[in-house]
Amino acid sequence: MNENKVIKDKKKTGALGKAYVGLLLIFFYFPIIYTVVFSFNSSKSLSVFSGFSLRWYEKMLNDNSMINAIFYTVFVAVVATAVSTVVGTLTAIGLSGSSKVLKIAINQINNLPILNPDIVTAIGLLMFFSALTVKKGLLTLLLAHIMFCIPYVILSIMPKLRTLDPNLADAAMDLGCTPFQALIKVIVPEIMPGIMSGALIAFTMSFDDFVISYFVTGNGVNNISIMVYTMSKRINPSINALSTIIIAIITIGLLVANILPVIKEKKEKTK
Amino acid sequence: MKKRFFAAILGAAMAMTAVTGCGSSGSDEAVAKYGSDTLKVFNWGEYIGEDVISSFEDEFGVTVIYELFDSNEMMYTKIAAGDSYDVLIPSDYMIERLMNEGSLQPLDKSLIPNLSVLTEDVIGLDFDPAQTYSVPYFYGSVGIVYNKNNVPLELLEEQGWDILKNTDYKGSVYMYDSERDSFMVALKALGYSMNTENEDEIEEAYQWLLELNSTMEPAYVTDEVIDAMAGGVKDLAVVYSGDAAYILSENEDMGYFTPNQGTNIWCDAMVIPENAENPALAHEFINYCLSYDAAYDNTVTVGYTSTNDEVKNDMASEGGDFYENEAYIPRSGYDLDEVFHDNQLLREKLSALWIKVKSSES
Amino acid sequence: MRRFKIMVYPYAVWAFVLIVIPMIMIALYAFTEKGNDVMTFKFTLENFMQFFEDAVFLNVMKRSLFIALITTVICIILGYPCAYIIAGITSEKNKLMMVLLITIPTWINMLVRTYAWLGILQDNGLFNTILQALGFHAIKIIHTDFAVVFGMVYNFIPFMILQIYTSLTKMDKSYIEAAEDLGANKVQSFLRITLPLSLPGIISGITLVFLPAASSFFIPKLLGGGQYVLIGNVIENQFLTAGNWNFGSAVSLIMAVVMLFLMWLTKKADRDPSAERGF
Repeated sequence: MNENKVIKDKKKTGALGKAYVGLLLIFFYFPIIYTVVFSFNSSKSLSVFSGFSLRWYEKMLNDNSMINAIFYTVFVAVVATAVSTVVGTLTAIGLSGSSKVLKIAINQINNLPILNPDIVTAIGLLMFFSALTVKKGLLTLLLAHIMFCIPYVILSIMPKLRTLDPNLADAAMDLGCTPFQALIKVIVPEIMPGIMSGALIAFTMSFDDFVISYFVTGNGVNNISIMVYTMSKRINPSINALSTIIIAIITIGLLVANILPVIKEKKEKTK
Repeated sequence: MKKRFFAAILGAAMAMTAVTGCGSSGSDEAVAKYGSDTLKVFNWGEYIGEDVISSFEDEFGVTVIYELFDSNEMMYTKIAAGDSYDVLIPSDYMIERLMNEGSLQPLDKSLIPNLSVLTEDVIGLDFDPAQTYSVPYFYGSVGIVYNKNNVPLELLEEQGWDILKNTDYKGSVYMYDSERDSFMVALKALGYSMNTENEDEIEEAYQWLLELNSTMEPAYVTDEVIDAMAGGVKDLAVVYSGDAAYILSENEDMGYFTPNQGTNIWCDAMVIPENAENPALAHEFINYCLSYDAAYDNTVTVGYTSTNDEVKNDMASEGGDFYENEAYIPRSGYDLDEVFHDNQLLREKLSALWIKVKSSES
Repeated sequence: MRRFKIMVYPYAVWAFVLIVIPMIMIALYAFTEKGNDVMTFKFTLENFMQFFEDAVFLNVMKRSLFIALITTVICIILGYPCAYIIAGITSEKNKLMMVLLITIPTWINMLVRTYAWLGILQDNGLFNTILQALGFHAIKIIHTDFAVVFGMVYNFIPFMILQIYTSLTKMDKSYIEAAEDLGANKVQSFLRITLPLSLPGIISGITLVFLPAASSFFIPKLLGGGQYVLIGNVIENQFLTAGNWNFGSAVSLIMAVVMLFLMWLTKKADRDPSAERGF
C-alpha cells in the first residue's frame, strides 16, 4: 500500500468529515446558546429579547434552594456514576462468562428501566420504598439513581466485551497474573471506551432525571431537574441563568483540564 | 487519584450539610413554643413571594423545608404514599378528596386570627364552606385571552365560549390541554353544569370538542400558553385568570373575557394533613401567609389574585400593580360559575375521551 | 471469562430487589379492579380489554412506534458518520474531547433545551424571523410531526453516536488491513468488516434511542402541541392526571411486552452475522 495515498485519502475525508461534525455540533449547541442569550433578557419572554439584564442571576443567587439543588445534583450524579460504573463493569464482565439463561434474564431486566416511561419506574419505586417505610431523602434518591444508571453502563460495555478475545484473561492468568490482575490490567483496558461511554451516559441520565427523582426524594432534597420542572409552571428565566452557570462551570473545567497539562509541560521544559 | 476523588465527594457532602443546615439551626424558643423548629411546606412551583419563606424563618426562628409540585395529582401521589408535610396548598377538588379520605385535620381557628382578612369572594365556596379544613391562598377564574386588535369584544360577548369554534379564527386558537378544563369549556358552552354526570351531556360535550378539533386546527398547550400569548402568537386562548393577568401586563393588545355562559371558579387553599408533624407551627404559617405583607409579596411575585381583601383592592386600585387589569379580579357571585367537585370516575371517563379528541384526525 | 461469572450474582440480587419487585408491584395494578388498595386484590382483565376495545389506543401505540422508528433511523444515518469520524481521530486527547463535546449538551436539562427549540421554532420565533428578514414566507414548524421527530432526534442522537463510537474505536484494525491486502476496496472493507463489527454498538444505540423515544412524554407535549398523543403521554396522563393507576399500569405492561419483543427481534438479527464470524 502506498503510504502517500493513505495520507491523501485521510485528508480528503478529514475536511469533509470535520465540516460534518462541525455542523452537528452547531445543531447540538444552538439551543444552548439561545438559552444563554435569553438568560440575560430583561423581560420574562423566551422569544422576544427586550434588553440586557442580570436580574435573573440575581434572583437565582438569592434563592437558596437553587444553590442547594446544584449541590445535590452534582453529588448524586458523581456518586451514582462512580458506583454504577464500577458495578456495571464488573457485572458486564461476569455476564459475558455466564450461562445463556442468566445473560438473557439480566439483559431483559435491564431493559425494563430503559423502556418503561419514567413515571412507571418512579411509582414502582415510590410504592417499594413506602412499603418498606424507608424515609425518603438523599439515600433513596441515590439508590434510585444507581438503579437506573447501571443498565446503561452494562449496555454500553457489552458490545465491547463481545468483540473481546475470550481467551485473553486465561492467557494472562497462564502467564502468572492473579484473576484480579487479569481483570484490571488486561480486560478493563480493552473495554475502556465502553466503560467511558457508559459512565458518560450514566452521568447524563442522573443529571437530567426528573420524574424518578421527584417521587423518591423527600426531606427538602431537590435536584436541578425538579427545580426546572416545577418552576417552568410559570416562565422563570432564572432557569436559563442556572443552565448558563452549569455551562460555564463545564467549560471552565474543560479548559482547565486541557490547559493544565500544557502548562505543566512547559514548566518541565523550562526546568 | 482515587483518594482525591473521595476527598472531593466528602467535601461536597460536608458543604451540603453546611448549606442545608442539617444540624438544627432554629431557636430553642421555637422548640419550646411549637414542639419543633422545622416546618415542611408542599406548594406549587413559582407560587410564593420571593421573601415570604425567609421572613417567616427570621420572624419565628424556624427552618422551613420547602418542596414543590407541578400538579394536584403529583402532590396526591406523594401524600398517598405516606410522605408527611405540615402545610399543603392544593386546589378545591383535591381538598375535597383529601377531606373525604380523612387525610386532613380540622383547623384550630383560634390560632389563625388573620382569617378575618379573607375577601368575601372566597368564603362559602362549595368544597369547604365554613373553612373547617382550608384557608384560601389564591383564587381566580378561567377565561379567554384575546387579541383586541383582531377579535371584537362584541363578538366575544355574543358567542362566548363558542367563539373558539368560529372558523374565522381557524389556526389561531390555544386550547388548554387538560380534560378538566376543556370539558368545562364544552359543557359551559352547551349550557350544562361542568360537574355533570349525565351521559348524554358528556357525549354532547365530546362531540363539541371533536368538532372544534376537526375544524379549528387548535394547539393544545398548558403553561407554554403564557409566553406565547404574551408574544401575541395567536388570537384566542383559554387561560387561567392569574396567568392572564401576567399576559395582559406584558402585552397591551391582549384582553381577558369571562363568557356569560359561566366558567370555573377555582381556589387553591392551605390545609394541614392528618399526619403533619408540626401542626402548631403550621397554623402559625397559615396565619402568616394571610398577613398583609406576605399576601402582598405573594400576589406581586406570582400575579395571581390575593385572597386578602385589602391586598386585592390595593393591587387593583390606582397605583397598584394590576390597576385596570381586567384579569386580576375574577367575577364573583355569578350564578352560572361553578367550583369543581372531586369525582374520580368522571375524571377517568373524561380523560379517556380527551385522548380520543386529541388523537382524532383533524 | 467463566472465572468471573460469580461477579454477576450481587447485581442479580440487586436488580431483583430494585427493578423486578417494584415492577411487580406496578404490574399488580394492571390485573386488579379499581380502588386504591392493592391489598383487596380482585383479579380482572378489564384494564387490558379497555385498551384493545378502543381503536384509539392501538392507533396511539402504532403512531408512537412509528415516530420512534423514524427517530431511530435518522439517528443512525446522521450519527454513524459522526461516530466513524471521531473514532478515526488519532490523538487520544482530541478523541476524548470530541466525545465530551457530543455528551455535554445532554447535561443541560432536556426541558430547558426543548423550551429553547420552542422559542426558536415558534411561529414568531427566531427561525421564522430570520426567514422573513431574508424575504421568505414564515413556515409553520411548531406543532407538527416534523417538530416532534426533530426534537427527539436532537435529544437522543448523542446516545447513538456514543454507542457506535464505542464499538468502532479500538477496533481490531488487522481485519481491515487483511481485507485490503486481499484486494477489497474501501467500500467493500467497510461493508464486509467495519459495519458488521460495529453492529453490536448500533444495537445498543437502538436500545438507547428507540425505547425512550417510544415512551417519551415532554417532547411530543411541548413541540407537538398536545395534538400528537403518544403512548408515553397516555401512560403519564393515566398515572398523574386521571389517577387511574390500573389502566396506566396495563398500558405500560402492554408497551413493555411489545418493546421487549421488538428488542428480541433486533438482537436476533444481530446474532446471525456474529455466529458466522465465530464469536
